[in-house]
Amino acid sequence: MIPTTLQTLRTLTRHELEDSVRSRRVIVLSLLYVAGSTAATLLFVAILQKVERQLAESLGVTVASGTGSVTATLWKSDGFRHILTSLAGSESLATTLLRVPPLALFYGWLSFTFAPALVMLTSTARISEEVWSGSARFVLFRTSRLHWCLGKFAGQAVQILGALLLSAAGAWLVGLLRMKSFEPAATALAMLGFVMRGWIYSLTFLGLALAVSQWCAAPNLALALGFFTMIGLAVLAGVSDHFAGEGWRRAWDLVHALTPGGHGTDLWWGDAAHLLPACVFLLSLAFVYLAAGYARFARRDL
Amino acid sequence: MTAALLLRGVVKCYGRRRALDGLDLEVPCGSVFGLVGSNGAGKTTAMAVSVGLLRAAAGSCDLLGAGSFRAEVHAGRVTLLPQDSRFPPHARVVDLLHYYGRLQGLPDDRRGADIEALLAWVHLADRARSPVRTLSHGMTRRLAIAQAFLGDPELILLDEPLNGLDPREAARIRDLIRERRGRQTIVISSHNLGDIETLCDRVAFIEHGRLMRQDTLDRITRRSHRLTYLLTGDAPLESLRHDVPEVDWQVSRDGRELTASYTDPWTPQSLNRRIVPLLLQSGELLEIRRGSDLESEYLNLTPPLPL
Repeated sequence: MIPTTLQTLRTLTRHELEDSVRSRRVIVLSLLYVAGSTAATLLFVAILQKVERQLAESLGVTVASGTGSVTATLWKSDGFRHILTSLAGSESLATTLLRVPPLALFYGWLSFTFAPALVMLTSTARISEEVWSGSARFVLFRTSRLHWCLGKFAGQAVQILGALLLSAAGAWLVGLLRMKSFEPAATALAMLGFVMRGWIYSLTFLGLALAVSQWCAAPNLALALGFFTMIGLAVLAGVSDHFAGEGWRRAWDLVHALTPGGHGTDLWWGDAAHLLPACVFLLSLAFVYLAAGYARFARRDL
Repeated sequence: MTAALLLRGVVKCYGRRRALDGLDLEVPCGSVFGLVGSNGAGKTTAMAVSVGLLRAAAGSCDLLGAGSFRAEVHAGRVTLLPQDSRFPPHARVVDLLHYYGRLQGLPDDRRGADIEALLAWVHLADRARSPVRTLSHGMTRRLAIAQAFLGDPELILLDEPLNGLDPREAARIRDLIRERRGRQTIVISSHNLGDIETLCDRVAFIEHGRLMRQDTLDRITRRSHRLTYLLTGDAPLESLRHDVPEVDWQVSRDGRELTASYTDPWTPQSLNRRIVPLLLQSGELLEIRRGSDLESEYLNLTPPLPL
């Protein structure tokens, strides 16, 4: 009895997760990411504490024990709102960001910046190493190449979500223990929002990583090419954003839309009008990248 | 008899080299089929093309009468023991077989029993929960054989199945293959012609990616129309030709190996009754073999390698 597509995908996803758990490399990388984000949050809190103390000293006031009390006041001040508006380039975006607890905002920045690198480290060699070792040859007469690739994607996606949730929990715990004016529920909720956004953003890079993995037979080459492509796309996003304009320069907008960075800013917004199109675009990009890799993988010798 | 595997004019190139050069092959259902050829003749490539791991440049491949390999049609019905492929090193033996079984669509209630029986067959029951990386080369090979038989597929392609096995395990695997004769179609590629001779009922010789000959083992080795006698003394060729002129008699250079090629109504029994007494007069009779051996036929058919 041939299993249904859903049954096959469930089997492949489960195996991918189990294999990731068994192979210590992926576990170590994910734990390093969690440890790194927790450490970065600790550093953020420490710097915040220092800045607050210096600010209090120069103003000649006593600072309340714990971090965050000055920041909480600053967060609500008009002066800071103006600074943030000029940085974000939009008053409504600045207003949106000011509604978010500072720690959640920092966590969002952290996941948008470093989660793609984690994805590249853990996923770029997943297909190529199985082709390289020949273990794919025991599987690809039992299921189709397309199902196998989609199963890999799903398994890796669940794994990335797990790493992001764990890192958010670590950062939240740091805030709870080290920040005075910490709003546990509001910060947790905001962080969860950033976990989901960071996850969707990471899925685009997962599509890219598995596309590279489908193209390259050698795992090390795939890893190097994955990072090269990620950096290339970041540069392309910056360049296209810089040169976009009227007339023929609108072509740069198209280029910008084809890079993950082209939709990253929209993920900072809190409303569905910005978030939804960004998520749809990013997920579509993930599958476009994956399909580009599959175009070769479907035809190549294994 | 319908074909379980049918290749017609299959071409596969690696760069400029043609690994398969218009290969034709017809494997009847229920047969144990041997693929024989020198290194690089195209045996492994033919198997990989059959299950879609390699893409053919031309020609057609039909599996179980359902066209070329498609997972949605052939998954679980066709399996392969690939050569030089490694399992995921961290997976445990039993988990890996469950994974393959699930992909093949083996129902939960049957899968466990099947895996248990197979692991017992290949003497890996005590290593079921061990990670693959802890298995020896021979054990890994036995696991590879077990996965090929998982779920009783209709067509099993075994690429050098007995390589790396100790004699006892090799004999056990031979028994496993013999036991499946008639129930499943098994294609075996091997350099060991003795194995092919003992296991297969049909054989194909492949050289340079082309089919040289394909027939039943009986016809290739002429088992039903040829007897070979090994003697201690010189064969009495003249008297044999005189007494039984309708049989074609040939003697080896040293005069100790006598070959009789005959046609109906002669049978091995009737011929032996007639000539064994004659042979015993000229010395001791060491052995009587039916037909020639596969190696001689292979060497006769294929050109020697250039020096």
